Amino acid sequence: MSFRPVFIAVVIAFALILSAFLINRARPAVETGQRSAEFVRAAGKCAECHTQQQYSVVHEYEISAHARKGVNCLDCHQPADRQQRKEHHGFSLSTKLTAGNCRSCHEPIYQEFLRSRHAAPSWAAVFGEKSLRPEQIEFSERYQPGGTRRPAHPLTTIEGPSATTSGCGQCHSVGRPNEDGTIGTCTACHTRHTSSVAIARLPTTCGQCHLGPDHSQLEIYEESKHGIMFHAQQHMLNLNAAPKELTTRDMFVPTCATCHMSGINGQKVTHDPSERLSYYLADPITKARPNRERAQAAMKQVCVQCHTTPLIERVYADAERVVASTNDKVQAASEVMAALRKDGILTGPPFTHPLDFVYFDLWHYDGRTSKHGAFMGGADFVQWHGNYPMLARSVELKFQAEELRRQHAGQRR
Amino acid sequence: MPANGADWRSDHQLWVEVFVLLNFAGLIGDIALAHSTNHFRRTSEYVPLYFSIGATLTLVAIVPLRRRYAAVWRDVGYLLGWAGIGVGLVGVMLHLDSRFFFERTIESLTYAAPFAAPLAYTGLGLLLIANRMVDSQSPEWAYWILLLALGGFVGNFVFSLTDHAQNGFFHPIEWVPVVSSGLAIGFLLVPFVVRVGSGYWRVVAIVLGLQAVVGLIGFGVHAAAILRQPGATLLERVLSGAPPMAPLLFPNLAVLALIALSGMVFDYKSDLRIPKR
Repeated sequence: MSFRPVFIAVVIAFALILSAFLINRARPAVETGQRSAEFVRAAGKCAECHTQQQYSVVHEYEISAHARKGVNCLDCHQPADRQQRKEHHGFSLSTKLTAGNCRSCHEPIYQEFLRSRHAAPSWAAVFGEKSLRPEQIEFSERYQPGGTRRPAHPLTTIEGPSATTSGCGQCHSVGRPNEDGTIGTCTACHTRHTSSVAIARLPTTCGQCHLGPDHSQLEIYEESKHGIMFHAQQHMLNLNAAPKELTTRDMFVPTCATCHMSGINGQKVTHDPSERLSYYLADPITKARPNRERAQAAMKQVCVQCHTTPLIERVYADAERVVASTNDKVQAASEVMAALRKDGILTGPPFTHPLDFVYFDLWHYDGRTSKHGAFMGGADFVQWHGNYPMLARSVELKFQAEELRRQHAGQRR
Repeated sequence: MPANGADWRSDHQLWVEVFVLLNFAGLIGDIALAHSTNHFRRTSEYVPLYFSIGATLTLVAIVPLRRRYAAVWRDVGYLLGWAGIGVGLVGVMLHLDSRFFFERTIESLTYAAPFAAPLAYTGLGLLLIANRMVDSQSPEWAYWILLLALGGFVGNFVFSLTDHAQNGFFHPIEWVPVVSSGLAIGFLLVPFVVRVGSGYWRVVAIVLGLQAVVGLIGFGVHAAAILRQPGATLLERVLSGAPPMAPLLFPNLAVLALIALSGMVFDYKSDLRIPKR
């Protein structure tokens, strides 16, 4: 037998095998460097169908930081502890993702979130403490006293489940109790599949819930110099900067996240947006938070990255005066209401008499708006969307109260 | 074609016909499984299934007529052959269209529907045509059959490379079919390039035997992987797991190549040479 054909055959075979090795080696490590074959397969197999069925889902993932770092579909969709499994084309998956999935990599952030009002207090503000576990209530009350141990909002009963589910629940589910024992969903701010820091930093992301007459933060921001400059210079900002490396060079115009959460110029990053807040502005009568001094110092530390101390002190002093005067106005209205109830003139559960709505709107719309406007540089909201309607409702409330008293006295005679 | 009453053992044309028939029959189950993973989402996915059924039944009907109604056997075979080529080539385009045409990357090629798989129809179609156009008693016939077996092993090489790349070759054993089919390609390609002697054909037979062993082991490994696979039912595991039939392509193609080899041995019983061009 001639050696020549055998030699040629071996050379051809070797060349083929070598080229196969080289092609495989050229594949990105983020695809192949996974913990199991299942995870490697998920790096591309899921997209085979879902590109056809839900293109945007795959595309959003592909442009995400998760994709760049080799976090693939299965990393997030694998069932976390106590989550229901679904067998899906050779993969065991969880289809309902919660904070329980994100925490497997981002545990410290989840813990910060748990301590915030975005967690259990947000849910309890609408649905009360009923669906929360005792340990969840206990934990949250430690950090946000009075935020979670409370009844469901009376409007949920009056307006009915459809309004609560499609209305209140859409925003307040940021702190929903999940079946797996965790609370909340990170995608409320970071959006699904993009898992984006840049999107979470956009004012419109916070504004998906923080808008409207009851908490007009987005509108106030839009009116403020911060908002105007953001829209003018957004294209020059680096919204994608890594949270721990964010500087004023990246975000020389702030968004909500810059002041309330970001670790700009070496500050501590936080996922508890109330960590730098010194007052309970959302309450009818605003009181200082237990950690007022520390929180205010932390916020001023952020302000000083762009502003001088005298300006910051002036803004705080002016805003605190608005808080005090709003408190006085709400207190006066509250006393009128309390007196009517005490004298048996106003009876029945909340939201059953027109005067209940006048009072509720006075503090819930006008009072809050004036206070938020004062702290956020929204002059029009302090005056025309805040103090002015508050004055109008105070007059109306007093007028109606006197009218009720006259009617009540007439009935008694 | 051997004369009436010729020994079936030397009737290589019949062997190829039976080979094609059995392959079309096997493709019925294979396509049913493969396209079920996709729930036959596009109507065109039914075409290879119905074609396989039709081709199998047609061959069952015409192969026995090979001697009595040679023209029927020949013409229907041609028709089936050309249709097979068409189904295969269109199938390749449609498989690539599943993802690769959108993003022309190695990743999309890896995870797209196996683009080389439909070429099985083209290969079977070419076998039917070659079996009719070329005299099965001639050395040329044996070389054509060998060439088509070589094409099959090229397909196996690409198939096992892309399929196992989906796992990132996580288990080193996944390289075995790539190495094995690479060897088969090397050894089957040489006779088309240089003159070879009978000793070389014996080496080729050993290499083909190795392919059969690799395929049978692969079948076992795939079956074991399917049993470990997450899935509510066995069918679901089969559909989403390692393709159970794929490793059997190795012994299948080894058989085809051995038919070609046996054609040469029976017809010449001596040192074989590539026909003069």
